[in-house]
Amino acid sequence: MTGLEPVGLGLVLLWGTLVGVDLASWPQMMLARPLVAGAVTGLLVGDPAAGLLVGGVLELFALDVLPIGASRYPDFGAGSVGAVAVAAGAPLGGRLGLAVAVGLVAALAARHATEWVRRANADAARRAETALAAGDPAAVGRLQRSGLARDAARAAGVTGLAMGLALGVRSAPPLDPALAQALALIAVAGGVAAAIHGAIRTASQGGRLAWVAAGLAAGGLLLVWR
Amino acid sequence: MTGRLRALWRLTALQASWNYERMQGLGVAWATLPLLAPLAARDPARYRAAVARSTGFFNANPYLAGAAVGAGAHEELAGAPGAAVERLRTALCGPLGALGDQLFWMGTVPGLAAAALGAVALGAGWWAPLTAVALHAMFRFRVSAWALDVGLHHGAGVGARIQQSWLPRSVEWAGRGAAVLVGLAIPLAAGWLLADAPTQRRWLAVALALVFYRLMGRLAGRLSAVELTLAAMLLTFLWHWSTA
Repeated sequence: MTGLEPVGLGLVLLWGTLVGVDLASWPQMMLARPLVAGAVTGLLVGDPAAGLLVGGVLELFALDVLPIGASRYPDFGAGSVGAVAVAAGAPLGGRLGLAVAVGLVAALAARHATEWVRRANADAARRAETALAAGDPAAVGRLQRSGLARDAARAAGVTGLAMGLALGVRSAPPLDPALAQALALIAVAGGVAAAIHGAIRTASQGGRLAWVAAGLAAGGLLLVWR
Repeated sequence: MTGRLRALWRLTALQASWNYERMQGLGVAWATLPLLAPLAARDPARYRAAVARSTGFFNANPYLAGAAVGAGAHEELAGAPGAAVERLRTALCGPLGALGDQLFWMGTVPGLAAAALGAVALGAGWWAPLTAVALHAMFRFRVSAWALDVGLHHGAGVGARIQQSWLPRSVEWAGRGAAVLVGLAIPLAAGWLLADAPTQRRWLAVALALVFYRLMGRLAGRLSAVELTLAAMLLTFLWHWSTA
């Protein structure tokens, strides 16, 4: 696995930054979904299977998130990038639990960093109050550009944190296999619980519980049939 | 590039300066500027007042916000009173937020993500999530362009026009589709992720997922799945360390 050498590392950091910015600022194209972020990271570091596996677990957690308005929610995108870097090159699933842990820690850090960016944006707008009240279009442009730059810095910082954790985990002695399996099992169970929680909560609001139940039944049957 | 295309491009960064006071207000102003260009030459004072108005509080679904941007510009160019333009923007926040959030955040986005996850669990490769991105991008840009055009053409009548359109009907179907796809993806993903685990360990994972689910219900709002999972991992790690 060579994807974590300097050139690959730079590409991964760049990708993580784009993924982080995509969540809310630009262009909101689902790049921040963990499965997408993980799949592309897997390709970048030369281990697509690890990208899909880690992205798949984190996607289950993301299905519990409703990114609406001023709500505060974890940002899984940039964390997924670091999480894949933990698992890449290891036997499939061997570092899954630790990888998911890194992704979840980064997702929580990203949530706090997002709040900082939003407060900093408000401060900047307050400082430009006079220009905005006078209808200065240049002031609007400056605020938009500085907001985007702040979010890019946040995303790069979170990706850097996740990559730092990933490199730390990779350089540490390997976990006892029993502990590694237990952590992976907890990660998958937590993801499944989150996805079910998200599905039921959303469906309850729209009176669509029967549709979720139909999907669960169909998925279960398909699983047994295969 | 025409004013409409520039506005459409700028709508992709609607939330770049999102903040707790004006929320999407500055993004709306940024997207509105190209549409107000004719006013800048015709009546600079009115242009400045219109720009100032457009920076006020706004919050709706970002993919549908173009309707408010277009309608606001339409009314400004038509010379509507400033207070009426502000009322229109405020009135559009609720419906555009509710419809867009249901269509995208509770519909197509989780639906496509779940479809991709299910496909990967069934053996599809990296192309499955990238296909979801492509489908989402096509739909999202098409809807954003449609919303902007409806606003530009109908001005203050944009709300009524949207209510008569395909949008309210599609919200229900998008929600149902997402509910089925997310339901479908969960067992498939669990089966895939635990494929190499022995049967006993799989049942342990199911039991643990149920415990997590119950705890999330009990601790509603205080601890998320993320925090619960990290706590369980930490406890397991400490227990293993202390007994090793």
